[in-house]
Amino acid sequence: MKLIDLAKVIRSKNAGPTTLTLDILFNDEAGYQRALNSPSLQPQAIAPLYGLKPEQVELIPYAPAMAIKISMDRKVVAGNPGDRDVYGAQQHGPLLEIEI
Amino acid sequence: MSAIERLRAQVKTADGLKPLRVLSASGQLGYGVPEAAFNEGLKREPHFIGCDMGSIDPGPYYLGSGNIATSEAQTRGDLALVLKGAHSHNVPLLIGTAGCAGAAPHLDAVLDMVRAIAHAEGLHFKLASIRADMPRDVVKHAIRQGKVKSLGAIADLTEADVDASTQLVGQMGIEAFQRALTAGADVVVAGRACDTAVYAAIPGMLGYELGPAMHMAKIVECASLCTTPGGRDALLGTLETSGGGSFIVDSMNPIRNASPMSVAAHSLYEQGDPYRVYEPEGTLHVDSAKYEQLDAHRTRVSGARWAPAQQFTVKIEGAAKVGERALMLAGCADPRAIAAMKEILPAVEKTVRELTAKTVKEKYEVYHRVYGIDGVFEWGGPPRELPREVFVMVEIIAETADAAKAVATVFKQFTLHHGFPGRISTGGNLAFPFTPPEVVTGPAYRFSAYHVMAVDELAALFPVTVEQL
Repeated sequence: MKLIDLAKVIRSKNAGPTTLTLDILFNDEAGYQRALNSPSLQPQAIAPLYGLKPEQVELIPYAPAMAIKISMDRKVVAGNPGDRDVYGAQQHGPLLEIEI
Repeated sequence: MSAIERLRAQVKTADGLKPLRVLSASGQLGYGVPEAAFNEGLKREPHFIGCDMGSIDPGPYYLGSGNIATSEAQTRGDLALVLKGAHSHNVPLLIGTAGCAGAAPHLDAVLDMVRAIAHAEGLHFKLASIRADMPRDVVKHAIRQGKVKSLGAIADLTEADVDASTQLVGQMGIEAFQRALTAGADVVVAGRACDTAVYAAIPGMLGYELGPAMHMAKIVECASLCTTPGGRDALLGTLETSGGGSFIVDSMNPIRNASPMSVAAHSLYEQGDPYRVYEPEGTLHVDSAKYEQLDAHRTRVSGARWAPAQQFTVKIEGAAKVGERALMLAGCADPRAIAAMKEILPAVEKTVRELTAKTVKEKYEVYHRVYGIDGVFEWGGPPRELPREVFVMVEIIAETADAAKAVATVFKQFTLHHGFPGRISTGGNLAFPFTPPEVVTGPAYRFSAYHVMAVDELAALFPVTVEQL
């Protein structure tokens, strides 16, 4: 199953100008647990999609909202020359097609 | 009696503290405050009103240039609304991160608006302003002592970065707001400030538990963003003392419901870590928080803990000018040019650099973006199917606007007529929606600082001035 079909919300945003944070929210506990246990959401799998090393990516489960947070280094500080997305609000694309 | 003394007398009883009602008027003053919800909030007789006015999200331009991101007319209107609301209810008004970035030019512009509104409306009050500009020598001294650390993926701060910064601010915490209130302020307008400080300063002074107070501050500072459907309407937070402290989240727009899930999910928003919030005076831990549905519209939150810091820290933010920016803007609908665009643009850049070598003596930077292929995200390869059309933006950053424009103009012409293998459309490779297709956009900035500085004393960095209006 693709993540876009399993999740309720898949979003990205800066958490300060040096960090990008991706939030994946689910409709139910089953979907949340399924995604949480999937190797395809682990830092080792996510990092190459963003051109990063696994140690630059952190996965944080957040049970109170049945959500998975993935925080990572920005390759370009927000708004600096060479940036493509100052707010970081359109960096979720690679997550959508991930097979869970 | 000062505003804070009045509040103390109102909430203090022999049995402890009464519930404290906190009205968050806006998560970003200057983009319009929905009036119906704000007026509903005033009817609930809040003990004070808070507004956040800034953010680092819009990038380094606003901090660096000293310009405000919101329109002057809208900002003036929002300020007038909240000033009149607070004045008519005789409660304090606290505004954080004046003018988007909270450096001296932003703060001064907002203070001028506040004075002009007070004069025009016949409002009289004690206005406190708090500066957040970091003394350069203090930051440089801290660098030399190893007390400045990067926040995330940014290089170590150097003394050259400090000198290059057109503006350099620090985020103040509750301590600065509390000093302004102790000095007798009715209205506090702060430079760069933690969003939470606006809402947690008064509860902290009055003796409410800082864990729930800080957690409430973190939730309410975005107004009704934590509800379903989320929105910008005013939000009322009610701080309670029983059972170790809790707070109630209540949107002033009846269609925006706060549920345990929507409020809990807000801890994720724009936070790298949903369990911890770092403040100058300590750390808020929300891993122990409990969210409980009160009714269809309201949620009660309890259980957050506050851990005072062993060492005070201040987040510092700086922006430095990198040059002047010009853009070349064009579209393309030719399938062969689209397929070759990622090779065409570097080839044209090479030609342009040769052609301008004699006329543009200064160094310049060139960035190409092909929207439809990888303008927004570096996909690492072309899409499976190429799009029917693409949009091409070439960005030039040079020392002067003239040089940037000159390079953009040459770039336009040589992209239009660039020959490449398999070219079939020899009339021109680009469609210009208008001319001139090269546009000078003004100064470009970078973040020169996004670091944290350990300090022994906070008060000296955030001076308070009080004036009677």
